[in-house]
Amino acid sequence: MNKKLSLKNAGTFLVFGGPSIFAFAAVVIIPFIVGLYLTFTNWDVRTGDSSLIGFTNYLEVFRDKVFLQQLWFTLKYVFFTVVIANVFAFFIALALTRGGRGEQWLRTGFFTPNLVGGIVLGYLWQTLFSQVLPYLGAKYGWELFQTSWLTNTGTAFWALIIATAWQLVGYLMIIYIAGFTGVPNDVLEAANIDGAGRTSVIRRIILPLTVPAIVICIFISLSRSFLTYDINLALTKGGPFNSTELATYHIVQKAFLSNQYGVGQAEAVVLFAVVAIIALTQSYLLKKLEVES
Amino acid sequence: MKLRKAASFAIALTVVTGLLAGCSKGNSANGAVKEEKGETPAAEQAAKDVKLTFFNTSAEVNTVFEELFKKYHEQNPQVTIELIPTPIGGAQLEKFQSLLASGNPATIVNLDAGTILQYKDDFLDLEPEKAKYEALTNPGAIDGALLDGQFLGIPWTAQGYGLLYNKRAVEEGIGGAFDPASVKTRDDLEAVFKKIEASGKAPVMLHGADWSLGAHYLGLTYSLQSQKVEDNRKFVEELKNGQVKLTENPQFTGLMDTFDLLKKYNARKSDPLVADYNRDSADFAKGAAAFYFMGDWSWAVIGTLEGRDTDFGILPLPVSNNPEDFGNTQVAYSEPKLFAIDDSKSTPEQQEAAKAFIEWMVSSEDGQKAIISDMGLSMPYKDLKAKSTNIMSNAVSEYVKQGKIINIGVINYLPQDYWAKTGAAMQKYLVGNIDRQGLAQEVQDYWKSYAGK
Repeated sequence: MNKKLSLKNAGTFLVFGGPSIFAFAAVVIIPFIVGLYLTFTNWDVRTGDSSLIGFTNYLEVFRDKVFLQQLWFTLKYVFFTVVIANVFAFFIALALTRGGRGEQWLRTGFFTPNLVGGIVLGYLWQTLFSQVLPYLGAKYGWELFQTSWLTNTGTAFWALIIATAWQLVGYLMIIYIAGFTGVPNDVLEAANIDGAGRTSVIRRIILPLTVPAIVICIFISLSRSFLTYDINLALTKGGPFNSTELATYHIVQKAFLSNQYGVGQAEAVVLFAVVAIIALTQSYLLKKLEVES
Repeated sequence: MKLRKAASFAIALTVVTGLLAGCSKGNSANGAVKEEKGETPAAEQAAKDVKLTFFNTSAEVNTVFEELFKKYHEQNPQVTIELIPTPIGGAQLEKFQSLLASGNPATIVNLDAGTILQYKDDFLDLEPEKAKYEALTNPGAIDGALLDGQFLGIPWTAQGYGLLYNKRAVEEGIGGAFDPASVKTRDDLEAVFKKIEASGKAPVMLHGADWSLGAHYLGLTYSLQSQKVEDNRKFVEELKNGQVKLTENPQFTGLMDTFDLLKKYNARKSDPLVADYNRDSADFAKGAAAFYFMGDWSWAVIGTLEGRDTDFGILPLPVSNNPEDFGNTQVAYSEPKLFAIDDSKSTPEQQEAAKAFIEWMVSSEDGQKAIISDMGLSMPYKDLKAKSTNIMSNAVSEYVKQGKIINIGVINYLPQDYWAKTGAAMQKYLVGNIDRQGLAQEVQDYWKSYAGK
């Protein structure tokens, strides 16, 4: 009897979960395993040759100084993007849960950039940075905008962060809003009656109670900004002189432009490991801060 | 019960064999076509529908190609051609490679000659067609399209580049008529630049993109070594082996001395890497700068511009102060794109149809009109049935007729990332991030990384 039941359960699971498992395997798991396998070969589309060469590609990764530089550049970029996007999203969400007028419209407005594709968004900001702002800068004598932000290594870095954060903020805002609605009203009322100020309410009540939302938001913004490619391509094309190439951009260039598929794929695996380690550590550490209301 | 088991087994068997048959479909179809050949009457075979795909890397003219496909389909209802477009300036090679790697390549490709060379085993050898095309094209056009001596792609467009000039802007700047033949050396050019600057105009537009600086400008170093592509290839090999010191190479130093000049009189001096192709071209066309280091392809932007000037020409880029030196009277010229036919997965039927279609495209009135009038390109073909409105390519043609060209065919043999990598070094030099020595070092280091490859 018991055996029959578990069989039946397995059947039910397959009916409902099977298609998703199949899809997940087809587009994520299998490509990942094949990709992992490719890093151990010297595969080349041009010759069709693919013999096993062991860890040579991985050694090559650590000899590729440019990649290591760009990995460091990516880490800096991710750090600032995550901090800026989350801080803005948190406070915008806070401002938009106070029950003021036109809140729905504002929420929609902040969310919209997230619906725009990265390429379109990149070109949009490119026009802003390379034409609109220099034009205004010349007209009103603003030193900061006299030249395009995209032609200078330092400012191009911030341009990238601004564009990415702008896209991310709306999405994170929605998660924070959901988090805030989970904060029980009676706790807030009790704090009010006790005479707690706005800042201490945020610090001592809202912040601890929305830790799950914060964990999710940091996780999402981490992985998304680590894997930024489209904005990088459309906004700066890695320029000026390849100084703003993010790791993903470098990997694509390595594989498809320099025709080193194996090394490029190995770099992708290294990037995957870095992202996985950082994202998992942060969620493990932050989860410890969770409290029950 | 037994019956049901047997039935389900039968169904499973059919599914599996069906799958297996599906896998080998490509091969058996191929075989069938080969067997049929010769036995089937020609008329019956012609009536068969053929579907071709066309991979296009000239993204700016996608729609013109689509119109051509429609026209051809009207005249030859059995042939349908489908365009596989690529975005302008991005991810073209990636797409080509993924199509190839997934076993689903396009029947016809419009690719850079260098790319075709890299994948030469996958393309059809067009040797049997060579004589026909030699009769159709200008002298030397087919020789220029050979890759390692093999005829793998049919040339259909020709491009030249150098110092474009806006006649009105130059003449207003120097206060009199301008004779392009008067500029034979770097000093001549500087004299003209000085006069123009004194009149309050910007002398020259230097486009700051890596492809322009890396492939077109720095790339001349390799082509200027000799008139023969073979010798230029040898020079690149020596670079890879580290036998060449660029700072001691007269072509490189001459080229960079001229670059310093362009840099000094650059209209984008304050922000040289802005590299907005449309804006740079428009400013030049409207006379905001008198010269422009660019090629005749910029007509695609300039030709349709409102309020532009009407008279343009091209000058060779002077690379020394000796008027006799190679390069001072020649403009760079190449056949950048070739049509090639896939030989890895396409059926003989498709290949025949592809050959016929390409021939129609480059030799029929409809095809030539589309390429010359609608795309604004120049064709290296004889007896053209359409007249070009592209003033710049007409100016280039004058140089071609007199044989005053730099054959830049060596670029077909360079690695695909050379323009991006060495272009980045040129960008650093342009903004003063590195000096001449540093530039030479970066370029040499790049080539050394390809030693033995």
